[in-house]
Amino acid sequence: MNTHALEFRNVSKVYETDGGDRLAALDEVSFVIEPGKTVAIVGRSGSGKSTLLHMAAGIDIPTSGDVSIDGQLLADLSEGDRTLLRRNRIGLIFQFFYLMQHLSVYDNVALPSMIAGDAPGLVEPRVMELLERVGMADRSRDRVQKLSGGEMQRVAICRALLKRPRLLLADEPTGNLDDENGRMVMELILSLAREENGTLIYVTHSPDFAGMADETMQIHSGKVIA
Amino acid sequence: MIRYFQKALGAHFRAGRSLYVLTVFGVALGVASVLSIQIINRNALAAFEGSVTAVSGEADLSVLGLTPTISETLYPEVLATEGVAAAWPLLRVEVMLNRGELVQSLERRVFLNIVGVDFYAPLNLPWAGERNEEPVSSGPDRIGHSWLWEEGWCAVSPAMADQAGWSEGDTFDVSLGSRTTKLKVGALIDFQALSPLASPKLVAMDISQAQALFGEPGQIHQIDIVLEEEVDEAAVQAELQSRLGKSVRVVTPAQRGEQAEGLLSAFRLNLTALSLISLFVGLFLVYSSTQASLIRRREEFGLLRSIGCTPRQVFAIIVGEVALLGALGVALGIPMGYWVAEANVEKVSATLSNLYLLEEISSLELPWWLYAMGIVIGIGGATAGAILPALDISRRDTRSLLAAFTLHEKIGSLAPKLFGCGAAILTITLVWYLSFGHTWKHAGFAMGVGLLLGLPLMTPLTVQATCSRIRVRRFSLGYSLRGLGVRLQTTAFAVASLAIAVSMLIGITLMIGSFRTTLEVWIGTSVQADIYVAPTSWRGKGSEGTMDAETIEVLTRHASVVAVDRLRGFIGYSSMRSNEDEWVNHRIGLAGVEMGLSNGDVRFPLLQGDRDEAYRRSTEEGAIFVGETLARKLDVWVGDDLTIHTPGGPRPFPVAAVYYDYSTEGGAAAMDLRTMVEAFGPGGINSVALYLQVGQDPERVVDDLKASLPDAPLQIRSNRRLREQVFRIFDQTFAVTQLLKGMSLVIAVCGIALMLIVLAREQVSELALYRSIGATRQQLFRIYVGKGLGMGALGLLLGLFGGILLAALLIFVINRAYFGWTIQPSVAWGAIAQQCATILGAATLASLYPALRASRTPATELSRENL
Amino acid sequence: MPVCILLLLVALPLGGETEWRTAREDYAWSFPEDHWARDGYKTEWWYFTGHLEAETGERFGYQFTIFRVGLVGDRPEIASSWTAKDLVMGHVALSLLPDPTGRTAATTGEGKNGGRHRFSEVVYRASALLGGFGTYPDSLIAWCRPPAGTEGDWRLTWNGTGFDFEMKDDGRGFEFALTTRPIKPMVFQGPDGFSRKSHGTTSASQYYSFTRMATEGTLKVDGRTFPVTGNSWMDKEFGSNQLGEQQVGWDWFSLQLDDGREVMLYLLRDKNEQIDYASGTLVDASGETRYLTRDEFDLSASGTWTSPDGITYPSGWRLLLPTADIVCDIEPELADQENRSSIVPTMRYWEGAVRVTDTAGQGLGQGYVELTGYGDSSRPAL
Repeated sequence: MNTHALEFRNVSKVYETDGGDRLAALDEVSFVIEPGKTVAIVGRSGSGKSTLLHMAAGIDIPTSGDVSIDGQLLADLSEGDRTLLRRNRIGLIFQFFYLMQHLSVYDNVALPSMIAGDAPGLVEPRVMELLERVGMADRSRDRVQKLSGGEMQRVAICRALLKRPRLLLADEPTGNLDDENGRMVMELILSLAREENGTLIYVTHSPDFAGMADETMQIHSGKVIA
Repeated sequence: MIRYFQKALGAHFRAGRSLYVLTVFGVALGVASVLSIQIINRNALAAFEGSVTAVSGEADLSVLGLTPTISETLYPEVLATEGVAAAWPLLRVEVMLNRGELVQSLERRVFLNIVGVDFYAPLNLPWAGERNEEPVSSGPDRIGHSWLWEEGWCAVSPAMADQAGWSEGDTFDVSLGSRTTKLKVGALIDFQALSPLASPKLVAMDISQAQALFGEPGQIHQIDIVLEEEVDEAAVQAELQSRLGKSVRVVTPAQRGEQAEGLLSAFRLNLTALSLISLFVGLFLVYSSTQASLIRRREEFGLLRSIGCTPRQVFAIIVGEVALLGALGVALGIPMGYWVAEANVEKVSATLSNLYLLEEISSLELPWWLYAMGIVIGIGGATAGAILPALDISRRDTRSLLAAFTLHEKIGSLAPKLFGCGAAILTITLVWYLSFGHTWKHAGFAMGVGLLLGLPLMTPLTVQATCSRIRVRRFSLGYSLRGLGVRLQTTAFAVASLAIAVSMLIGITLMIGSFRTTLEVWIGTSVQADIYVAPTSWRGKGSEGTMDAETIEVLTRHASVVAVDRLRGFIGYSSMRSNEDEWVNHRIGLAGVEMGLSNGDVRFPLLQGDRDEAYRRSTEEGAIFVGETLARKLDVWVGDDLTIHTPGGPRPFPVAAVYYDYSTEGGAAAMDLRTMVEAFGPGGINSVALYLQVGQDPERVVDDLKASLPDAPLQIRSNRRLREQVFRIFDQTFAVTQLLKGMSLVIAVCGIALMLIVLAREQVSELALYRSIGATRQQLFRIYVGKGLGMGALGLLLGLFGGILLAALLIFVINRAYFGWTIQPSVAWGAIAQQCATILGAATLASLYPALRASRTPATELSRENL
Repeated sequence: MPVCILLLLVALPLGGETEWRTAREDYAWSFPEDHWARDGYKTEWWYFTGHLEAETGERFGYQFTIFRVGLVGDRPEIASSWTAKDLVMGHVALSLLPDPTGRTAATTGEGKNGGRHRFSEVVYRASALLGGFGTYPDSLIAWCRPPAGTEGDWRLTWNGTGFDFEMKDDGRGFEFALTTRPIKPMVFQGPDGFSRKSHGTTSASQYYSFTRMATEGTLKVDGRTFPVTGNSWMDKEFGSNQLGEQQVGWDWFSLQLDDGREVMLYLLRDKNEQIDYASGTLVDASGETRYLTRDEFDLSASGTWTSPDGITYPSGWRLLLPTADIVCDIEPELADQENRSSIVPTMRYWEGAVRVTDTAGQGLGQGYVELTGYGDSSRPAL
């Protein structure tokens, strides 16, 4: 029984195209990531980075092979259990932020707790703490439509961290931001992940940002090549 | 372009099956509801016309009485009139078919229309052979004049014979008044061969037997006339009218049709208006589904535009697609409408005979123009619903189509303005009505239209304002509602269409409830006797259904009876001088009662007139009481005279009082029995009301009376039973209305389902996000059910508002203008609560499938699109 | 032996309860009462034909017939004025005859209401409102309403010595009121008024005639009134089964010869157009009758006439009756004297005025001829 934060063992994911062709998004991928590590995944578009991240979040399930988180084999979990795992132990950050337009900054951050049914009173300090740390506390009542891209991503980071996830997954978090904002966001993610003692895996195109991680994993045509 | 259209259509249909199915269904329901009502309306008239055609098909003119019967001595007069090529007398009586049990429930009575004809007159009757036999060429060859001498000889339609299992030679009992008569099936006459819509319940007898068994000596009902070719029809008509006198009218078949049409116009108009509301709701559905599908496909259109498609072509693609859906809806809606009509024709038919004393509808036909109407409504309506969104999309520039769509915000910012418009429409309509609109007969409908336009316009802001006030603390109902306010574009339509349907539902429920309560109060005062006795066959129509003297004697002699009220009733005609200075006849119900009955004065709750004075004048001066409906229709009030046709000619009767009357729509008047005898000649009593000694149990006396008149075809009912029956008829009368309510609710609920499916599609990414950050499927399912419930609640809220306005409109404006009924408003809380629960339940039900679809959204959908 | 075309209209009642009386050789005649309706017989008719002439020279042939068709033996006991035991049927025809002298310049005949031969008909149930039959000794024998569109009644009455009758049909534009007075006594057609119609005994009728009656009255055609005088022939016949089963029609001749004699002939035809039965009566100038047998006379058609409907009738005959020293030609005054019923569209028969001449064309007398059962559709539907 290992206690890796994340382990992929011979994981393959094959999609069937409309024409009946089979397309391997991941091909016999195996790796382990230890708790507390930060790992950057790099590779070209279509190399399988996002698929890998979805597997890690339990959103998608492999065609073959095993994925385990904190030693828990995802294949052993029901769909509902995987949802709960995501709810409580995984935080997700996206390229397009995915904020709810109709909710305020505060409510967007608090959304995971709403979904989990946590008592609103207990959640509030945590929300404010996170917003404080990303410098958005004074905007908590604002509608998210009014925010800039960088601000949106900072709110999204707060949402991802709200439940103190053990595993933080970020899919090109800077992809939709300019360099300056990108760097600020990247630094914020790394520092918060480290402060929260979480394991962080992020996908990026930028060698600069990739260099900020403890480890780098390169993917090419569905295979880990470094 | 066409090729693209075909290819794209197939692909979109596969991708959005449920969306399209719901759209088609919405159109189909809209078409079906309008069509079914039109079918019923059309056939209500056709039933009348069909029977007219079967009996008087060849006639160019008919002589009809303005009194219950006409003297047969008019027949030779008609024959002697120049220009008449042939004429024959008719005697028409409605009798009840006795089927085993003597006392039948009112609803299950079967009436036969006896037509007494002169078999030796030049009639072309389609004699039919025995079942499965070749038709015979002419009757007398085979029948040998049995109609003259064989007692009870009659000819029935093959359809009736089949239905009742009769063969030639079989006998059956019919009753008219307190008499029971045995008739014998002597031959078959296929009336339907003359007119497919003729009632199969027509029964032909020789006029001699019909008169002896069911009529009065020397009296007939009608004379049909065929004119010589090339004579001036109008001149002969005028000549006949002056020759025969004022107590008859000489009319063409078209004029008879018009008369029935006029009689039913209010009834038909109301049903049509209600069905149009269903259609309106259906069009909302089309509009919003078009809108939804366009939002989904905006990029496709952007792309088409960018590769050189003209706005016109884009417009054509959109409208073409919707027209196709409309066509599918029509294909589904026409049979559905027919089916709905068929399923309900019996109820409408009952209403026609209860309320209008007209022919029952026994079969349905669908003339070509009804198909055409269905097609126009379905395709035209759908296209109309799509035109605005299509114009909007086609006029947009390519860049804004390819960029993220901003219509949501647009409608959000428009919401206050729309609300203002809606409120303005309501206000303007109201002000218009109060200032001058109220003098116009159709003002009520104009206001209804105002309401139907105003309410939807007010919906977006209401939804927005309500939803934005909700504080979201949990991922539950509040969260669902909050989301509704954001997707105004989609939700406002669903809510608005539901609101319209609910308005109709609540408005009609309130109206019917109020009417029912009013009726209860009215019956409470006017139905005072302890026991009511009437022949089972009596429907207030003919004068022939009388009770014989011995029967009345038996009833009166019972030890517990202290007072007896006798009623003689028939259809008569009043005569009014119109604005154009012509005499216009109105069909009215005439009742003769014992005006002098002690304590009988409560029978007529008076709207106008001094009670004591009115009763004194009715017994001493031959004055009459006029029912409210008639008073309003003819504008005849206390102090005026009402001219009524009597066998001695038109005669003015002073009006002593106006009473609340809910018995017929056509209007009624009552007079003392002695006045009636004096004016109309002696005649039988049609029903009897018995007052018992205090403390007697009416039910026990009813049993006594039944026992002493064992075989009499009488309905002997206690006060309580009579009331129950009155309400059964009342409920039956509104059965179709209930159906229409139901249909528009179904359409509205479809709207909710549709909108939720649209939402589930639009919000794929959002749903995926929820899934990815840990929302379970059950949670998403609940969120969506919550949305459905939320839309239901909002629709209900607005609908309650609209419904109360509509009810007020129906009660105070429309009913008064069209039917002349004063209805006291009252709220049937129970019914309203029940309907609210139904609406919310239906909304919830409607959201189950979309919720299921939403909950199945995979988290992997996330990366596909922006939120 | 006039028309029993009403068999077209009314067949024998099947399974009816009425037992009709039949003609008998020993019928006990009683006059004048027997001029009135004889109940119990299925059919009965009063049949007048004649030639009339106006003062101004216009010549007319007329037919006035009232039929009684028994529906049931007794009036049903039903409390209605519409109940009836008989039908009353009237057939009236007027022929506007050509004027050989040319004096009248053919001023009548092609009016808007019809041609030179006009036919008017009515059928009503015999009921208080529509028509009926009187009883002796009231003068009224029969009456009925005129055709629709016309005022007044059609009536047949007994005036003490002869018959008066009147009719009116505004639609066809003619009316007349005539009074008759027998010039010669009444004669029985057949021994004791028993007229056999076939070789069996069953088909027969009671039959008598006034073969020559002075006639006068007024006649109105297309608005013009003519005082007229002339000569009529009257038949009264009643019975319950006049035709043999195999018979399809008949030819009937009534001839009034200028020498004071009258001849009545009837020939019943079978399905093969062969004469099935024939007989006749010769009345001499004094009124004595002699009944003629089939082999006593020869009647051969000399021409044909085809109706608008395509029915071909014989038209013109040569009669040889050597035992009475009669050789004559019988020529229709008008070719088209066909009565075409509109009430019973299949009912068609030829009934018209004829002229009797010697073989050289010299006038010998006048008469009426009836031809029934010609053409498929006009055959009685037996």
